[in-house]
Amino acid sequence: MSQGTAVEAVAIPPQQRRLRMRLRRLDGKVSPYLYISPFFLLFAVFGLFPLAYTGWVSLTDRNLLDPTTHFVGLDNYTALLHDSYFWNAVENTLGIFVISTVPQLFLALVLAHVLNTKLHGRTLFRMAVLLPQITSLVAVALIFTQLFSRDYGLINYVLDHVGIGKVDWEAGDYTSWIALSVMVIWRWTGYNALIYLAAMQAIPDELYEAAAIDGARPWRQFWHVTIPNLRPTIIFTVIVSTIGGLQLFTEPYLFEPDHYGATGGSARQYQTVVMYLYEKSFGSSQFKLGYASAIGWALFMLIAVISLVNFLIIRRIRSAD
Amino acid sequence: MVKYIRSRGRGRLVALLALTALVAAGATAGSAVGKARDTITLRVSLFGDFGYHNVYAAYEKSHPNINIVEDIQSYPDHHSNLAKHIATGAGADDIEAIEVGFVAQFKAQPQYFYDLRQFGASALKSRWLPWKWQQSIAPNGAQIGLGTDVGSLAICYRADLFKKAGLPSNRAAVSKLWPTWKDYIAVGKRFQAHAPKGVHFFDSGSNVYNAMIGQLNPAYYDAKGNVIVSSNPGVRAAWALTVAGIQAGESAGLAAFSNDWNTGYKKGVFATVTCPAWMMGYIQGQAPNTSGKWDIAAVPGGGGNWGGSFLAIPKQSKHPQEAYDLIKFLTSPASEAYVFKNTGNLPSQPALLKSQPVQNFRNPFFSNAPVGKIFANSALVLKPQVTGPHQGDIQTAATNATQRVEQHKQSPNASWNQFLKDVQNVS
Amino acid sequence: MVPTVDRLPVARPRRRRQLSRRFHQAGPGTYIFLIVVAAASAFPLYWSFVVASHDNSAVSEYPPVLTPGGQLWHNIGRLFNSGEVNVDFWAALTNSLIVATTVSFAVVMFSALAGFAFAKLEFRGSRMLLLAVVATMLVPVQLGVIPLYIEMKDFGWTNSLQAVIAPFLVSAFGVFLMRQYIVGAVPNELIDASRVDGCHTLRIFWHVVLPAVRPIAAVLGLLTFMTTWNDFFWPLIVLSPQNPTVQVAVSSLASGYVEDFALVLTGTFISILPLLFVFVVLGRQIIGGIMQGAVKG
Repeated sequence: MSQGTAVEAVAIPPQQRRLRMRLRRLDGKVSPYLYISPFFLLFAVFGLFPLAYTGWVSLTDRNLLDPTTHFVGLDNYTALLHDSYFWNAVENTLGIFVISTVPQLFLALVLAHVLNTKLHGRTLFRMAVLLPQITSLVAVALIFTQLFSRDYGLINYVLDHVGIGKVDWEAGDYTSWIALSVMVIWRWTGYNALIYLAAMQAIPDELYEAAAIDGARPWRQFWHVTIPNLRPTIIFTVIVSTIGGLQLFTEPYLFEPDHYGATGGSARQYQTVVMYLYEKSFGSSQFKLGYASAIGWALFMLIAVISLVNFLIIRRIRSAD
Repeated sequence: MVKYIRSRGRGRLVALLALTALVAAGATAGSAVGKARDTITLRVSLFGDFGYHNVYAAYEKSHPNINIVEDIQSYPDHHSNLAKHIATGAGADDIEAIEVGFVAQFKAQPQYFYDLRQFGASALKSRWLPWKWQQSIAPNGAQIGLGTDVGSLAICYRADLFKKAGLPSNRAAVSKLWPTWKDYIAVGKRFQAHAPKGVHFFDSGSNVYNAMIGQLNPAYYDAKGNVIVSSNPGVRAAWALTVAGIQAGESAGLAAFSNDWNTGYKKGVFATVTCPAWMMGYIQGQAPNTSGKWDIAAVPGGGGNWGGSFLAIPKQSKHPQEAYDLIKFLTSPASEAYVFKNTGNLPSQPALLKSQPVQNFRNPFFSNAPVGKIFANSALVLKPQVTGPHQGDIQTAATNATQRVEQHKQSPNASWNQFLKDVQNVS
Repeated sequence: MVPTVDRLPVARPRRRRQLSRRFHQAGPGTYIFLIVVAAASAFPLYWSFVVASHDNSAVSEYPPVLTPGGQLWHNIGRLFNSGEVNVDFWAALTNSLIVATTVSFAVVMFSALAGFAFAKLEFRGSRMLLLAVVATMLVPVQLGVIPLYIEMKDFGWTNSLQAVIAPFLVSAFGVFLMRQYIVGAVPNELIDASRVDGCHTLRIFWHVVLPAVRPIAAVLGLLTFMTTWNDFFWPLIVLSPQNPTVQVAVSSLASGYVEDFALVLTGTFISILPLLFVFVVLGRQIIGGIMQGAVKG
């Protein structure tokens, strides 16, 4: 095939033309499946079995160490419905999710927009927002538990000095949610900002110039050029942040002073659903793998519903075309 | 007009990817350890430094066909992985350390470990403290582990703060102040009446409560393996006494091993703490500036223990006999004496506890107290206690319960009821 | 009001494309905002370096210690002293490098392929399959640990690097990200024009799509590299300290009941040095590469 753009002036014999057309049709039919096959093949090997396994286990009373297992059908799921600990975890998860995800995405958008401008040291700032991602989790745990410590934390030190008084962040319901949201926002804003930033690069200069020529000030340009062109990426970050936010585990797990038990505070005030799952399966001596698997699949359904809702909300952003 | 970027960049990308794949394949192939055909490699999995380095060396010298490799992972990771490895049938080392907080749940499923009696462990029984030996015996009678060290228990106290509050500060006198836990709480009230501002009698209600529970038998489980938390008056009494102390303002309301607890040592925020032998090193490391201000007195009620481990051999091990020989050596009196000398880990064997090196051991940081004698006596006096598979989780639930009272999240009665609910949830 | 592209300024210098999109210089408020963000992002890293350069008692000091001490070399020495620490940090760094690099490249490549197919190619079942891809992200990973470990056991891959590489060579996150990006960044007209020119699909992918996705490929590669580097949950189970990645190595710095934070944070400090190196040396390329334009007509 030629690399240039000019159509060859030489006539192609009909046999060759038919062959080419057949190959082209084959290419059009087969290529898509070929291109998605690495994902699905690898998933079939490494992803499907775990999913099927946990699906099956959720229908049993499998205990991690106990070899005797019985099929119990949907008993685990019906037990979940009456499990006040589970619903407490759902409430915590939703609460932390709302406080952490919404500000985080807005902040990421603002940050990306700012990083997209003419700046001195622009590359340095762009790299700086990724530093939370390379900070080790041990350090993250140490810092944030220190920051929010009741007696000697830095934040309480400041609050005490300005007269507000110390807050027992870890002990309270909403206070622990706020502390965890700060942790999550700190960790993930830069991540999302860079995704937005990359997407912003695909927006042609001409659109902005045209808008500017039409008299649009920067704010209007943002709303009428940037956002519509960012729509697919915004949909992406909303869905992925929903999934990640509802699966929150690492931050609350690290926030707890004593990791054994993963109870999420003395009154389970910040135990998320995945933490509860972890407690039931590996984090304690309960080893209730069957029940934990049911929690996992219940969470799956919860995330599916909420992701769909968020998707329908975000979809209403006006599209670029 | 279609634009193309320079194809050089992409070509480089692919070459790099191929190269990386090759290196990866080579690295993984090369990571297989080459060993002589008749050398046996024994892998020992611990959750910290048990002080065995030179002990391994001595053993390897006398057993030239044995090569010892030590794997360390952090405390929660180690035990969590052990459970996963024995559940999936792969990945456990030849020798696994199991800490006392986890031994109950593993011994409930003894089929995953070798019964050391088949290697002659029963003959060694008299070596160990009775309660230590009993802690790793499964319900079916199998002995799944040999004891390494014990934590024992005493009360570490700040002599200077006691003086300020008008209490005696000499350790003999202090030990006489609290023969029972009731006395301990009463002393706490005296202390709080004249304590310096912001100083509390003890660090955490849960530490005090756990020390009380440790002296009960039965505590959470009866001999048949039933959970008896709600019906055991001893447990209720321990709870009530702890709550009394909390409500008298004696507790600093800290969670053990939290940031505030660490800093609390430096700032002298609490005057007493239930102290296993390894806590001494902790205090010395965290609050070096308080040297000489501390002393050690006997724990109320007679005896206690916090910590200590066992060495077990998972059935996955391909060299159980060699592994048994090694753990027999690692827990031999000579080894435990050596480890005590170098790391301060208290031996779990009465003969050693009564021996001169232990009995004469003093710690200058703690006003030169005869810490060896005090901890040894506490360990010797402790009685065995029946434990069950969910021991650790019940303890977590209890810790949460005392914390809820300290944090004013629930009234003591409501917290107790929640505790009972939690116990039902975990068992 | 939809902006149109029918008026081009005269004699536009080519270099302008490399510069910013905003037409106003960033004001001092912007700089202050960015400095605050950068400082907040960097602070924990800085503080872990401070703790690593002191002895263990400094971590709980109050007021907190904020300036470096003199113990860093000593602690680094302890880290590589096999008498004290029995895990090989050099091996850990090398392994992590191999794993993270392989996974990042594979994820970017396979995600671009699949993302392109979902975004621009029409085929039966594409909607359902895309939904399936996204759905795979919904199940928490902690659950899959046991069956995945059983698989690794059956393949004989426990304790080997394959176990931490193979399951992660593709990522639903990457596929979804690429798909969304390509939907917006590669105009259909471009693809149609290439088809008219007689290009087959692979050629279109190679010459049209890949150049267009450079920004997001750079970001995806970078993010994948970092999350792989920091992954601790799975490597901790399937690898041993004899063949570790850095997170496994850091876990084996544990010292029983009493954590030596100075040593642990020295370990984490060493473990991010390669990342920082990649940042500094390749940062301009990668982050700057985000600047280099997509295909625009």
